[in-house]
Amino acid sequence: MQVKEFKVKWGMVVDLDKCTGCGACMVACQAENNIAPVTEGSNKLRTLTWMLVYELSNGKDFPEHDIAYLPRPCMQCGKPSCSTVCPVVATTKDEEGGIVSQIYPRCIGCRYCMAACPYHARYFNWFDPVWPEGMDKTLNISTSVRPRGVVEKCTFCHHRFAAAKEKARMEGRDPMHLEEEDYIPACVEVCPTGAIVFGDLNNPEHKVAKLAKSRYAFRLLERLGTDPQVYYMSKREWVRRQGDNYLENEKTKGE
Amino acid sequence: MGLDRRGFITFLVGGAAGTLFTPVPWKLLDDVSIWSQNWPWIPKLKYGAKGVTPTTCKLCPAGCGLDINTVGKRPVTAEGNFSHPLSQGGICPLGAAAVQLLYSPARVKGPLKNNGGKFESISWDEAKKILAEKLSTQKGSGNVALISGDENGTANEVLAAFLAALGSSDYYFMPSDATAYATAWNKIMGGQGQIGFDLENSDYVLMLGADLLSSWGTVVRNQKAFGQKKGQYIYVGPVQTGSASVADKWVPVLPGKESVFALGLAYYILKAGKTCSAKGFAEFKEYVLTNYTPSKVQALTGVPANDIKKIAAELIAARRPVVVSGSDFGQGSGSLDMVAGIFLNLLLGRLNQPGGLVALPSVQAVDKAPDLNQLRQNSLINFISDVQKGAKRPDVLFIYEANPLYALPQGAQVASVLDKIPFKVSFSTFLDETAAKADLVLPTPHFLERLDDAYTPFGAGAVTYSVSTPVIKPVFDAKPTPDFILELAGALGVDLGISSFEDVLSAKAEKLGADWEELQGGQAYVGDKKVFQSALALPTQILSGGLKMPSSEYPIYLAPVARPYIGNTKLATPPFGVVTIRENELKGKDFYVHLNKATAKKLGLKQDKKVKLVSAAGQCKALVNITETVMNDVVAAPLGFGHTAWDDFSKGKGDNVFNVLTVTQEKPTGLYVWNNSQVKVVKA
Ligand code: SF4
Ligand code: SF4
Ligand code: SF4
Repeated sequence: MQVKEFKVKWGMVVDLDKCTGCGACMVACQAENNIAPVTEGSNKLRTLTWMLVYELSNGKDFPEHDIAYLPRPCMQCGKPSCSTVCPVVATTKDEEGGIVSQIYPRCIGCRYCMAACPYHARYFNWFDPVWPEGMDKTLNISTSVRPRGVVEKCTFCHHRFAAAKEKARMEGRDPMHLEEEDYIPACVEVCPTGAIVFGDLNNPEHKVAKLAKSRYAFRLLERLGTDPQVYYMSKREWVRRQGDNYLENEKTKGE
Repeated sequence: MGLDRRGFITFLVGGAAGTLFTPVPWKLLDDVSIWSQNWPWIPKLKYGAKGVTPTTCKLCPAGCGLDINTVGKRPVTAEGNFSHPLSQGGICPLGAAAVQLLYSPARVKGPLKNNGGKFESISWDEAKKILAEKLSTQKGSGNVALISGDENGTANEVLAAFLAALGSSDYYFMPSDATAYATAWNKIMGGQGQIGFDLENSDYVLMLGADLLSSWGTVVRNQKAFGQKKGQYIYVGPVQTGSASVADKWVPVLPGKESVFALGLAYYILKAGKTCSAKGFAEFKEYVLTNYTPSKVQALTGVPANDIKKIAAELIAARRPVVVSGSDFGQGSGSLDMVAGIFLNLLLGRLNQPGGLVALPSVQAVDKAPDLNQLRQNSLINFISDVQKGAKRPDVLFIYEANPLYALPQGAQVASVLDKIPFKVSFSTFLDETAAKADLVLPTPHFLERLDDAYTPFGAGAVTYSVSTPVIKPVFDAKPTPDFILELAGALGVDLGISSFEDVLSAKAEKLGADWEELQGGQAYVGDKKVFQSALALPTQILSGGLKMPSSEYPIYLAPVARPYIGNTKLATPPFGVVTIRENELKGKDFYVHLNKATAKKLGLKQDKKVKLVSAAGQCKALVNITETVMNDVVAAPLGFGHTAWDDFSKGKGDNVFNVLTVTQEKPTGLYVWNNSQVKVVKA
C-alpha cells in the first residue's frame, strides 16, 4: 500500500483514566454534524454515531472488578483499510492533516469500507434522516445533510479545520502551522473532564505530540498496521491490554 | 452508549478483510450516486450570519455557562463557555442537546385548560382570569401551595413573595441534596449560609455516595476540577458509577450506609486525637467511639475495618482533604448522612479553608420574599403526607419547572395526593407527567427563550452568579412564569413591590456588586466571601439512626443510579440523548437492572430474565443484566426511564424506579429518607 507522508497530522490522545462515560461528546458530535435524532437508540446495530463510547470491563468478579469508558471516533488511520477498498474513491487520505475524507456525492453505498474498517467507525444511512418538526432549524450550516444510501463517519469535524485554515489565511498566518486553539473538534471542546486532547502529532509544541509518546499511550489494534492517528492512554494495564490482541503471557506495552 | 466487552472484542477481531478488494471503474457509478442523492425531502440547510450568544443553562441546577452558536439569530448548537467558572468550556449531555429541545415534540405550545381530561387551548388573558377568580377566594386563607423544581433561580423569590402575599407558607422545593444539606446544616447544626466544596484546591476528595463526576451538584465543574486534579479522588458507594470508574479507588458500601462508613472513619480520626469546637462535641465523640467501632461498622457497611483505617489515615495525612457526602442519586438523604460528612470536615479542620468545605452567603433581591434557604428546609414529602392525612388541604397547587408526579419516591402515593388537590397549575416547558394531569398548563419558555438566572448552584466552591439571556424569541406561545405571576398579582391587587423580573435580577446584581451589563453579556460573577460560623452544634441524638438493622422482608438493597444522558428529575431523555443509552441499559421497551453474579446466583436469576422489583411502596418491571459493577446484595437501577408523557424519544421505555423508592422516617428528626430503599427481586 502506498502511504502518503504528511507534514501536519491531526490526532487525538484520549486519557481513559479521565473519561467518565458521560456521553457529552456523542451528543455534541450529533448536533455539530447534523445527525438526525432517532427514537430507538440502544440497538447499536441500527444507530448512527460517529463518536461512540464503549464500556470496558477488566473481566474480574466483584470486588476486583474495574470499569473504563472508551470513546471511539474514526481513527483517521495512516493506512486506512476503508479507503483502499472503496471502488469509487469516495474516501481518501490525501489532504495535508491526514484526515480520511468521505465524499458523500460519490459514495454509492456498497459498504465495502464498512466491512474493511476494523474499528466499526463507519455507518450506513439505511433511511433518509428525519428531524421532528422545526428541529431542522437547528441544522449546522457547516456540515451537509446526508441522504439515505451513503456511508459516513467521523471527520474530526473537518469543517472546523477548513474554517481554521481560512481564518489563519485572513490573518496572514501560515494555515499549515495552526495553533492548538485554532482547530478543536466538537467532542474535544465539550468534554467536561478534558479526557480528549487534540492537535498536530507532528508539531512538538502541541500537547498531543508529547502525550502520544507517553509510556502509557497505545492505539487500538496497533499490530494490524493501520497506523491510527487516535491514541489512547491509561495507567491501568488491563485497559491497555484490551486495546490490542495480546497473547496471554505477552507483556503489555507500557509495562 | 457503546457495547459491552464482548462487543468490544468483536471489533478488535473484525480485521482487515476488505483490503483485498480492488477498485473498479467508478466514473459511471459516481454520476448515478450524485443524481440519486438529490432528494427534495432531505432538509435544506438554512443559511445566515453566524454568531455566538452566551447564556446560562437551566436544564439542571448545575448552572453551566453556555455558548450558543447561532445562524441568522437561530440557535444551532450549544457549547460550554470557556470563561464561565462552572463549565469552563465543558458541558453535559443534556446541555449539549439543549438547542434541539427548543423543537421537542413534547413542548407545550401555548396555555392549555384541562376540560374533563382533554386539553383545549386558551389565551394568556383567559388563563389569568381563571386564576384570578380562583385565587381571589383564596386570598388570606393560605390554601395555595407551590412546588418548585428550580433550585437556585431568583424566580423563586418572585413566586415565594406572591405565595406569602396570599398568606401561604406552603412553598416546597423538589427534594435534592441541596434541600437535605439546608436541613442538616442550617436547621439541625445551626450553620449559616449554603454549603459548598472547594474541589479545585483539594488534594484528597472523598466522595461519600455523592456521584460528583456523573450527576451530583455542579457536575461539569466537578469534572473540570477532576480533570486537573493533583491529588486523589476516592468514591464510596454501592455501584461503579462514572465517578467510581475514574476514581483512584472505589470503596463499595451498601446504599444509604455511607454515613455509617463516615462515622467509622471518624472513629479512627477521633482516636488520632482530632477535635473540633462545635457544641456537643464531647458527647458526640463519646457516642461515635462507643457505637461506631470498627467491627460494627464493618458489619453494617460491608467494608473491612482495615480499609476504613487506611482511608482515615490518608485523610489525616492529606494536606487539603475534603469530604463530600450525598445521596448516590442526588436525593433522599437524611440528616445523618450530611452531618456525618460535615463532621469529618470539621474534625480535619477543613471548614472555610482552601480546598475544604465552605459556607457561602446568600443574597436576595425581593424584600417581600421569605428567605429561600429557609424554604429549602420545608419538606415536600412532609407536605404530601399531610395532604394525604387531611392535615393540609390546598385548593390550588402551583408547580413550577418540576415533575413531582414522575420524580418523587412512592409515586403511587404522590399520584393519589395530587388527585386530592382540586386545582393544579403546571408552569412547564414540556408536557411532562405532572402537566398532563394539571388543570391549567401555562408554558414557561425554554431557557434559551427567557431571562433567568442561577445563584451559587449547590455544591459550588464559591459564590457564583450568572444570567440566562434570551437567545431566541419564544418559538411557541410561552410566557416567563415570573412575568405572568406579576401580572396575576396585579389582577388580584397584590403589591409585591416589584416592577419587573428584569428589575429584580438587576437589583440582585447590584446587591452582589456585580455588573448587570456584564452578566447579561454572559460573564459570571464570582465572589470570595465565606460565612463565618459561631454557633455550630453536633446533634448526638441522630447518631442512633445509623445503627438500624436492615429489613429482612426486602433483602436486596436498591441503588438508583442517576445518569444525565437518560434525563433528570425534570427532563426526560432529549431527542439527541437517545443514542447515548447503552445496550445494557435498554432493550426495546424494557430497561435493565443490574446485579452481580453472586447476587444473581443467590436469587436464581439469569441474564436478560424478566424480573419485578417489589418494595413496600410499589414495583417496577425490568430485565436482568449481570455485571460486576454492583456490590453483593444490591440491585442497581437507572433513574430516568418509564415516562408515560413526553414524546416518542422517551415515552414507554422501561419503568420508573422512583415508584419503588420507599420512604422511612429518620429518628428523632422526623425527616423522610429514601436513599436506603430495600426490595425483593422476583421473576416476572
Ligand atoms: S478508523 Fe475505519 S473509517 Fe476511520 S480511517 Fe481507519 S479504517 Fe477508515
Ligand atoms: S465527553 Fe469526555 S468524559 Fe464524557 S464520554 Fe466523552 S470523552 Fe468521556
Ligand atoms: S450540567 Fe446541568 S447546567 Fe450544566 S450543561 Fe448539563 S444540564 Fe446544563
